[in-house]
Amino acid sequence: MMSSVKKDRLGKIIDASFFPLLIFFSLIMLIPVYILVKVSISQPVDVLTQHPTFLIRNFTWDHWIKVLTSGKLWPAFRKSFTVATLTAIFAIIIATPASYVISRLPKKVKYVVILGLFFTRMFPNVGIALPIAVKFLKWNLMDTYIGLVLAHLIEQLPFITWILVGTFEVIPVDLEKSAMIDGASRLRALMSIVIPNAAPGIAVATLFVWLNSWNEFTYALYLSLSENTLPLQVYYYVNRGGFFQTATYATILTIPVAVVTYALQRYLKSDYLGGAIK
Amino acid sequence: MKRFFKKYHLEILLILPLALYIFYFTLIPILQTIKMGFTNPITGNLSLENYRYLLEREDFRKAFVNTFIISILGLIMQLAAGLILALMLKKEFKTKGIFRAIILTPMGVPTLVSGVALLYIFDTQGYFNELLYRITECLKYIGLIANTYRFVPIDWASGGIRTILMIAFGDMWKVTPIVTLLLLAGLESIPLDVYEAAQIDGASKWQTFKNITLPLLKPSITMAVILRSVDLFRIFELPMILAGKTVPVLATYAFEEYRVYNNPNISGAVSTILLVIIMIFVLLYLKYVDKGEGLA
Repeated sequence: MMSSVKKDRLGKIIDASFFPLLIFFSLIMLIPVYILVKVSISQPVDVLTQHPTFLIRNFTWDHWIKVLTSGKLWPAFRKSFTVATLTAIFAIIIATPASYVISRLPKKVKYVVILGLFFTRMFPNVGIALPIAVKFLKWNLMDTYIGLVLAHLIEQLPFITWILVGTFEVIPVDLEKSAMIDGASRLRALMSIVIPNAAPGIAVATLFVWLNSWNEFTYALYLSLSENTLPLQVYYYVNRGGFFQTATYATILTIPVAVVTYALQRYLKSDYLGGAIK
Repeated sequence: MKRFFKKYHLEILLILPLALYIFYFTLIPILQTIKMGFTNPITGNLSLENYRYLLEREDFRKAFVNTFIISILGLIMQLAAGLILALMLKKEFKTKGIFRAIILTPMGVPTLVSGVALLYIFDTQGYFNELLYRITECLKYIGLIANTYRFVPIDWASGGIRTILMIAFGDMWKVTPIVTLLLLAGLESIPLDVYEAAQIDGASKWQTFKNITLPLLKPSITMAVILRSVDLFRIFELPMILAGKTVPVLATYAFEEYRVYNNPNISGAVSTILLVIIMIFVLLYLKYVDKGEGLA
């Protein structure tokens, strides 16, 4: 009983520093975003100086107007948007039936399949993008939408399969069975019982795939020669040293991601991050 | 065999598109890259020429070392930050929802963009240097230090350990929410009565943490270590944006050999080396640190 009498000094320190620490972490999480937006709406005098200001002193929409009217934003925006949408659609079409099957496999087999999917993640992207780029050069798929969609699916299919296996796993097998007893075929039971039950999970997964493809950088870098996606456009201005264009393009790239992430916050569970390996 | 196909024809049909896609667009490319790494670019024969070339390259050795330091340092930083935040968010307090949302902010920011934001912060004329400058000015004003101008401003992108720290911080900023969520899920699965029992026995916070939380959290920690180390070794976007050529890591080095120097075979060899490192790291971790408990 000594320890209960002895004062828990560490415990006291932790209790006292709880909120200060929380606020410190919160600031660290918020400041980079604030700085980014701040640069995109500041006049050069506040940014390109020996001593940049922390507060927004000279507000201006100049950089935004320039970027929005430059004619360089929309082609990149359209490419990123179209590719992300097509990637999400194809991913859902290919991965939904497959992950249903995987979710109904015996436990041991399922584990092996999922580990196999994880293995594809261990190989560096620059290694997979290399032969893909060589192949697509031959096939004339460089700079095309379909080329990028095919490449983005490489990463997104294992990702979405993980999520969906988790989604299907929690739908009881008995539901399908009772439908089949009532005379439904297996495909029918799948379409009218299982899929509707999994619909919310499928929707969330699709959105995450859309976001991942919208953000994708490595494959786009390998597979684009002249026509940039939005992330490449950001990189292009980083290289050129266009301080304000970079900030503005980066903010534009972030908007949909931030909106969707905040909206889907409650779905951000570890299942979706770690896949089905727990 | 025939019976097997008849019984499972629907399953096979449903899984076939995914299997074919992964086979053709992932497995074959991986094998091609490995083969490329072992192919002499001039004669086309299998050889170790590319690896010999890499060993002689100063850039490659640097990239190799940098990748290791960034990965290990990043892993420690991320796990520490993630664990602290997860322990904090496990507590019940009034404004928890708001703080949780704030701490998840980096998830809503593309990696590339986090690189851009950090570019502004760690620029020579950036906000971090300005903060350091103001702090030192304050200290000088109070009289704690005599001279400030010797070490401010710092050029964070000039290479060496500073740049490595900057990249590791950037990656930590971006992924801490993910690590936090992973560990939080693990924390929440620990039954409450274990803690109650510890409290009755009069255990201090540190004892509770060391003897209960940490061992029971091991599966989640393993998950986080494996997911993060795989991504850290492959790190590409952040060094590309933040450091350009001064601190190459293996992934950016592989890209450069392909795109700038037009040596796909060398690039393939680097990718293969990277894969081997990742696999060895994951296996060693599972064997010696986790002893296979976490993934069971």
